[in-house]
Amino acid sequence: MEITLNHYLAVSGLLFTLGLMGVILRRDLLVIYMSLEMMLNAANLTLVAFSRFNQHLDGQIMVFFTITVAAAEVAVGLALIVALYRVRQTTKVGDLTTLKF
Amino acid sequence: MASGWLLFAPLISALACLVWLRRKHDLAMFLSVGTCAISFAIAVALFVGAIPVPQPWNWISITGGVANLTVPIGWYVDNTTKMMLLVVTGVGLLVHIFSIGYMAHDEGRGRFFGELSLFMFSMLGIVVANNFVMMFIFWELVGVSSYLLIGFWFQKPAAAEAANKAFLCNRVGDFGFLMGILMYWSITGTVMFQLNAASASTLATQTSATLTTLGVLLFCGCVGKSAMVPLHVWLPDAMEGPTPVSALIHAATMVAAGVYMLVRIFPPVLSASVGAQEVIATVGGFTALFAALIATQQNDIKRILAYSTLSQLGYMVMAVGIAAPGAAMFHLTTHAFFKALLFLAAGSVIHALHEEQDIWNMGGLWKKIPITFATFALGTLALTGFPGFAGFFSKDEIILAAYEKFPCLYAIGLITAALTAFYMFRLVFVAFFGPARTEKAEHPHESPAVMTAPLVLLAILSVIGGWSILGIHSYIAGGHAAEGHQPGHSLTLGLSILAFAVGSLSAYFLYFNKKSDPIRISLFANKFYIDEIYLNGPVKFQQAIARILAWVDNWIVGGCLVRGTAFVSNLTGEALRLFQTGSLQAYAFLFSFGTILILYFTLLR
Amino acid sequence: MLLIPLVGIGLILLKSPPKIVAIAAALLNFTFSLVALMQFNSQIAGVQLGLNIPWVHLPGLPEIRFHIGLDGINLPLLLLTTTVTLAAVSVVPNDIKRPREFFSYLLFMSLGAIGAFVSFDLFFLYIFHEFALIPTFLLIGIWGTQNRQFASMQLTLYLTLGSLVLLAGVLALVLALPVQLRSFDLLVLQRHLSQMPLNDFSQQTIVGFLLVGFGTLVSLFPLHSWAAPGYAAAPPSVAMMHAGVLKKFGLYGLIRIAVPLLPQGFDAWLPILLVCLLGNILYIGFVTLAQKELQTMLGFSSVMHMGYLFLGIAATNETSLSGVILLMVAHGLSAALLFGLAGEIQQRTGENRFAELGGLAKRAPFLATAFVIASMASIGLPGLANFPGELLIFFGGWHRFGLGIMALVLWGVVLGAVYQLRAVRKVFFGDLPARFESITDVTGTAQRGPYVLLIAALLFLGFFPSILLQVITPAVKLLLN
Repeated sequence: MEITLNHYLAVSGLLFTLGLMGVILRRDLLVIYMSLEMMLNAANLTLVAFSRFNQHLDGQIMVFFTITVAAAEVAVGLALIVALYRVRQTTKVGDLTTLKF
Repeated sequence: MASGWLLFAPLISALACLVWLRRKHDLAMFLSVGTCAISFAIAVALFVGAIPVPQPWNWISITGGVANLTVPIGWYVDNTTKMMLLVVTGVGLLVHIFSIGYMAHDEGRGRFFGELSLFMFSMLGIVVANNFVMMFIFWELVGVSSYLLIGFWFQKPAAAEAANKAFLCNRVGDFGFLMGILMYWSITGTVMFQLNAASASTLATQTSATLTTLGVLLFCGCVGKSAMVPLHVWLPDAMEGPTPVSALIHAATMVAAGVYMLVRIFPPVLSASVGAQEVIATVGGFTALFAALIATQQNDIKRILAYSTLSQLGYMVMAVGIAAPGAAMFHLTTHAFFKALLFLAAGSVIHALHEEQDIWNMGGLWKKIPITFATFALGTLALTGFPGFAGFFSKDEIILAAYEKFPCLYAIGLITAALTAFYMFRLVFVAFFGPARTEKAEHPHESPAVMTAPLVLLAILSVIGGWSILGIHSYIAGGHAAEGHQPGHSLTLGLSILAFAVGSLSAYFLYFNKKSDPIRISLFANKFYIDEIYLNGPVKFQQAIARILAWVDNWIVGGCLVRGTAFVSNLTGEALRLFQTGSLQAYAFLFSFGTILILYFTLLR
Repeated sequence: MLLIPLVGIGLILLKSPPKIVAIAAALLNFTFSLVALMQFNSQIAGVQLGLNIPWVHLPGLPEIRFHIGLDGINLPLLLLTTTVTLAAVSVVPNDIKRPREFFSYLLFMSLGAIGAFVSFDLFFLYIFHEFALIPTFLLIGIWGTQNRQFASMQLTLYLTLGSLVLLAGVLALVLALPVQLRSFDLLVLQRHLSQMPLNDFSQQTIVGFLLVGFGTLVSLFPLHSWAAPGYAAAPPSVAMMHAGVLKKFGLYGLIRIAVPLLPQGFDAWLPILLVCLLGNILYIGFVTLAQKELQTMLGFSSVMHMGYLFLGIAATNETSLSGVILLMVAHGLSAALLFGLAGEIQQRTGENRFAELGGLAKRAPFLATAFVIASMASIGLPGLANFPGELLIFFGGWHRFGLGIMALVLWGVVLGAVYQLRAVRKVFFGDLPARFESITDVTGTAQRGPYVLLIAALLFLGFFPSILLQVITPAVKLLLN
């Protein structure tokens, strides 16, 4: 069986859907955060796959950007979550309702 | 340019007194009287033809378009004007001099003389005006100075109310007057009294309905200013002002401005419309009789004179209505003399009795204040038409003019003459004869010379004013002096003497030596309840409308529409807020759900 | 001229004494406007003493130019603005809280008003007016009295919505032209549109927008609800500026844009405009009659007088439009005077209800005299500037509309006299309540100055209206052709 573009895309779609479900359904900020990363990686996978099958490097360059931004995002996001945990002693989104009107 | 000072002098005095000299009473007094004297001198010079009239000057000029309007400030001087100038400045000067004595102890003398000068300025402006707009300008200014002077003692609520009433009645009249001016302009294309041939023929070819409307609208101005029925209510109340003001403004000059205006517009406008003439004559005649009836039952010395003024103004207006403007001006002139005299003399009485105005609180004054009494009596004789006195000639002239055209008005004229004699002699007998009825009336003091001198001068004029030697009548009427030989002349003469006799004798029998009024006719005493009718009719009505509309504005427009819109917006906001749960995950869910929907619709269908 | 208020604001923010700087700036501007009047050549009807430089060029839109200048229509309004600014700045009490901001905002208003009047570019016309509105909201909201929150909120919503509709109308006007002819410049627009007018439908639609937009700004009935509460709540100097100057912007806009550029569309709206302006004169006239507080009454009265101005615009002939410009100036001066004096009364007595006031003429003769003069001006008495303005409008209106409508309009003159004299009677005449025994008059040059200035201007224009008319009439004629 030859592995075609469609297989990659299917895996990427599954990963993205899993990530989205995680973001929507999980109650813990940390896990939501990890799910978010998963969605990003799903996108990365798509890009790399397209790049590979189209014989074009643009997609891979894009992935580098994504990884860099994701790293920066993790640094900021995790720092925020840690700071939040220090103040509120929780990372459950159900408890973080200060901004709710 | 010298004649321009006729107007400038009082204006300067008015500005100076009102702006700088409010506290410097004597200087204000001096300035005001001095400028009035200057005006009088110029009026005399104009009368003898020593100086020319000033050049016109364009106040507003818009030409070359569809609605051209040019308003010059220019003079129109003919015999009527000159005579009127003499009357206004002459009587004005005497009243100024009288005021020096009368107002000697008032705290607001500076203001008083300033306002008096303002009045002189505006009144002279009316007299010399050569076009409608200029007349209207000064017409309104006269209204203001009258408002200020009636409300001179503004602390008295009655005076403040009277001032407002006077201004508003005049405003209602001016409402019609202004419309008349606009209509005149739209027909002729100009606002000048003197029409060129083209405009005159345009005016002459209008339908009679248009001309009647025009005439009646212009007459509205006279109804307001000369206090004809139904706008007469302000004049009696205007007696709340200082007495010299009543003499000058509300008897001799300002109220006569309405009549003067009618005479001024008689040749171009009124003479063309019989319908308008009939309206004017009817209103005039009715006012004459109506006011005379009320006067028979009044007790306040100034109010009796006020109603008498109304009645005499009715005569004048009636004269214009029966196409005898010369007679109207003649009566205006003599009336200015004797009514100013009567008011000033009444002022002297009031002064002598320390602000007592009720004639039933007087009595027996004739030997205690002889000069005042003598002049008052002469004025009364002149007013009531005692043969040989001024009023006799001028009033006969009017009654005679009515003889042929309007028998009904002829009768009214005679009845009113009898009533005039009756109420005037009632006043004289009650106030000056009989026993003194109160403490005050026991010890009056004669007024100083500065007050009595004008009285004496006016008394002389009241006696001789009608004599043909002076030629006042023929001067005004120009070529129409031959009116004396009309049919019915001797009959009229006899009947009017009879009217005088009936009136004065019945007053003698009813009122001589009486302690209280033997007749009580509440309808007359209450002025036919006109004030009450107005108060409960139009005034209440207008207030009710105002209140209803204010409510509507506040609750329907402001409440339902404006606040309603705001409320609905708020409600929408509240409803939409329910969707904003604040949960990020719900948003994310909705967001992805939306994306899937869009993808579904764009890709798979 | 535009720079001076800015410099003034700068100086105030730099901690110099605010009132003195503000007065100096206003005085300088006043002098400049007088100089402009002197230099203005009344023989030339067109725009002069101007400036026209490119500003920005956005893709898809015509070039926006910074085009300012003076002609016979905005010169009188410029004079009005500088005069009223000077008076308004001078009547501010010395102990006002946060003076720095207050005076900055006032000067900002003045800047906006001047800019809006002198701009010949639609973009700047609009923007400068918005400039002037923003400080108005702040001034009423922060320094106002009574229910200032509600009043400033209502005023804000009304005026912003009004200017939004207005903006839509202006953009529609520009975009209705073919692409190569599009321009924001009024003179260019006028040139194009006089050669090939728009079709009737677009004219009517655009005039509809403009009428609602400008109408809201001028409180045309039934869009007037913001005015009276707004003025009642505003500090006196702000009411002076807004009722006296800013409100005139809507009328100015109509004269500048709707009348010359879209004549057919304007004619189509005439019946509705007539109903509205009669609503202004009669309906509001009666509403004014029923008011129980001085400032609210003055607010409504100022709304009512807008009816005459609309009548003059509706009549659209050179007599009535000259009258409109003259009356805009006159009403600006007299409204400013009345609001200023009402402020003095409230400050001295702490009272603005008619029922509680009375007899003040005894203790405050200057105040009484000035108020009587202002009232007389307001009811259109000869000798004061309002009279020739109203007179010209009446003549022009009669020429267009005839007896029926003018009878209704002129009844408004009677109504005006009724409520204005009632106010004089209630506040100044009659018995003086004992608790007001000790109130003081307006004394000294500094306090009396602004009022004397306004009265003098009113008197001068009342006696010699031709000074302005000789400038106004040629410009109006140019506009109508």
